[in-house]
Amino acid sequence: MNVSRRFVLLGTACAAVVGAVMTTTPVLAGSAVGSDAESKALLLRMVRVMYPHANFSDAPYQRSCEAILGAANKSIGQAVMFGQGMAELKAAGFAEMDDAGALAHLKSIEGTDFFQLARGTVIVSLYNDAEVWETLGYEGPSFDQGGYLNRGFNDLDWLPDPRITEL
Amino acid sequence: MSTIANDEAAVVIIGSGAGGGTMAYELTKAGIPCVVLEAGPFLKPEDYENDEWAAFGQMAWLDARTTSGSWRVAKDFSGLPAWLVKAVGGTTTHWAGATPRFLDYEFKARTTYGEIEGATLLDWPIDLAEMEPYYARAEDAIGSTHTNGRSPLPANNNYKVFANGADRVGYTRYATGPYGTNAEPYDGRPGSIQDGFNFQGDKHTSKWSTAVREIPRAIATGKCDLRPESQAVKITHDASGKVDAVLYVDEDGNLHRQAARIVCVAGNSIETPRLLLMSDSNRFPNGLANSSDQVGRNYMRHLTGSMYAWFDKPVRMYRGETMAGIIKDEVVNDPSRGFVGGYYMETLALGPAFLAAFIEPGMWGPDFTNMMDHYSKMAGMWIVGEDMPQATNRITLSNSVTDQWGLPAPNVHFDDHPNDVAMRTYAYEKAEALYKSVGAIGTHRTPPYPSTHNLGTCRMSANAEDGVVNKWGQAHDVPNLFISDGSVMTTGAAANPTLTIVALAIRQAEAITEMMTRGEI
Repeated sequence: MNVSRRFVLLGTACAAVVGAVMTTTPVLAGSAVGSDAESKALLLRMVRVMYPHANFSDAPYQRSCEAILGAANKSIGQAVMFGQGMAELKAAGFAEMDDAGALAHLKSIEGTDFFQLARGTVIVSLYNDAEVWETLGYEGPSFDQGGYLNRGFNDLDWLPDPRITEL
Repeated sequence: MSTIANDEAAVVIIGSGAGGGTMAYELTKAGIPCVVLEAGPFLKPEDYENDEWAAFGQMAWLDARTTSGSWRVAKDFSGLPAWLVKAVGGTTTHWAGATPRFLDYEFKARTTYGEIEGATLLDWPIDLAEMEPYYARAEDAIGSTHTNGRSPLPANNNYKVFANGADRVGYTRYATGPYGTNAEPYDGRPGSIQDGFNFQGDKHTSKWSTAVREIPRAIATGKCDLRPESQAVKITHDASGKVDAVLYVDEDGNLHRQAARIVCVAGNSIETPRLLLMSDSNRFPNGLANSSDQVGRNYMRHLTGSMYAWFDKPVRMYRGETMAGIIKDEVVNDPSRGFVGGYYMETLALGPAFLAAFIEPGMWGPDFTNMMDHYSKMAGMWIVGEDMPQATNRITLSNSVTDQWGLPAPNVHFDDHPNDVAMRTYAYEKAEALYKSVGAIGTHRTPPYPSTHNLGTCRMSANAEDGVVNKWGQAHDVPNLFISDGSVMTTGAAANPTLTIVALAIRQAEAITEMMTRGEI
């Protein structure tokens, strides 16, 4: 299932995107909205402030940014809305804000369709990323490795082994 | 597999999950030919994915649905009121496997709890004594651990935290089951390899589902005509008011008519009332079997809520069975707690993908990422308790939204009853105390997920004016129409519903067989 489908299901702004799916990617001046280097850097900064993990590299965030751009360019309506949001982020000087200021700024725009498109997309892409799983200590698919029967399903050793049946 | 002609009046079963799949096996085993109409595809264990979102996209019921009411699901997941499966096996493909029985007082909710303002409580027309032999048969079918000599599942990491906490706060009734996953080989299926991913279908088939047991066995009788990707859209009736056929749409959008001698509807508590409401006619202008105006009403979803707690040491809750721990101490009716009815606490583990989406929908920022950073040190439990039936919590047909076939989408309206709110708050406090007793450095109260337990909407009642079906699941208004799923639940009890759905289906299949033998239907 692609990210935008999940966003439709999960996002609070889903009504805005249902029925607006286009078969072609709309373009502004020959390229998809938000795809220039400056916009991508700004979007990366926004996503890192939105979901700050000190030990994540830029790579999974960048993959989430690509997912946002994919969702944003699904329709003319989305692209126009998204382009406006990016322009306003730039105009507010978001790129130059420190972490606290950037967080406060995002808080001030969290009710906008622009923010919710980004948030609703990142939440289903950033944590569905194999590199992120590894960083968080999640081992992913297990069946092909024989499950966890011999790979630590019961290796917790800082509590006593409890009984498993009722008395 | 047998082929039954469209003009041959057969027993037609709509749905192949816990109820429909069990009906198909029990009836065909008794020599009765059945057509099984299943809206989804026949996914096999080799098709299942060890990946949360990929599996969700593969099997979740994603047809158009709408929501209303004050429940948070309507805000956070407005198009996804319930987390159900559209595939052969229905939601048994997805279920985690807990199999507690209902308790006797839970079949007598109105008598036990008394008059509760705003609640439409009613006693079931059956009780535990009548259900006990069927519960035993259902447990044997499912292979429930801890019952009839079957081995318990071992303690996984999540259970170790849960059970030690239970002990420290004074609970005594905790165990790793009963669960519908084999601890050791049973019934031709292997013991668990603790691979997790129960919610995604179990590739190893240690977990019971009708897709791996009842449906293949029904087909093996030579009496079952299973039609996947065949969605029932209308039940028709003859001049006498008996149902005579089911119209269904195949994967290519072609409409078919299957003649029916008996129809058993098992589409879960959203699709079942939707189908009855869509089956209106001049004779039944408010929908089929709806002279009581009870079709769609008293929708219940269990209390639910989750508690995630994190520690300064590793837990790795995702290793092993998704759900394999249960505390029963709070399943009593003790109004001094501030609410009627009880609740179970059950271990639950999600991967990072689902945890991020569900731990606190809509949340972002450093407090959110702090929780996610503790993923490998996190333990989790689910709270599942009895919610109050309310006439206004109901499934209706949308006036504005249609599905891919142009049929009205179901709207799911839900408001918490004050009893639900009081129980949830109390349960969260108890869950926090449990985890803090074993050293939790942080906890989070996760709100209910899209509903996995969908109950009521065609409730069983002694009197025809109070409900939709009688004690056999037979429609009060239409003698050859049966409801064979959790829709018939008069009240929800605290227990996970699948075992009871299976037990009711075994009992109903026996009753139908006898009624057919006697020539009554």
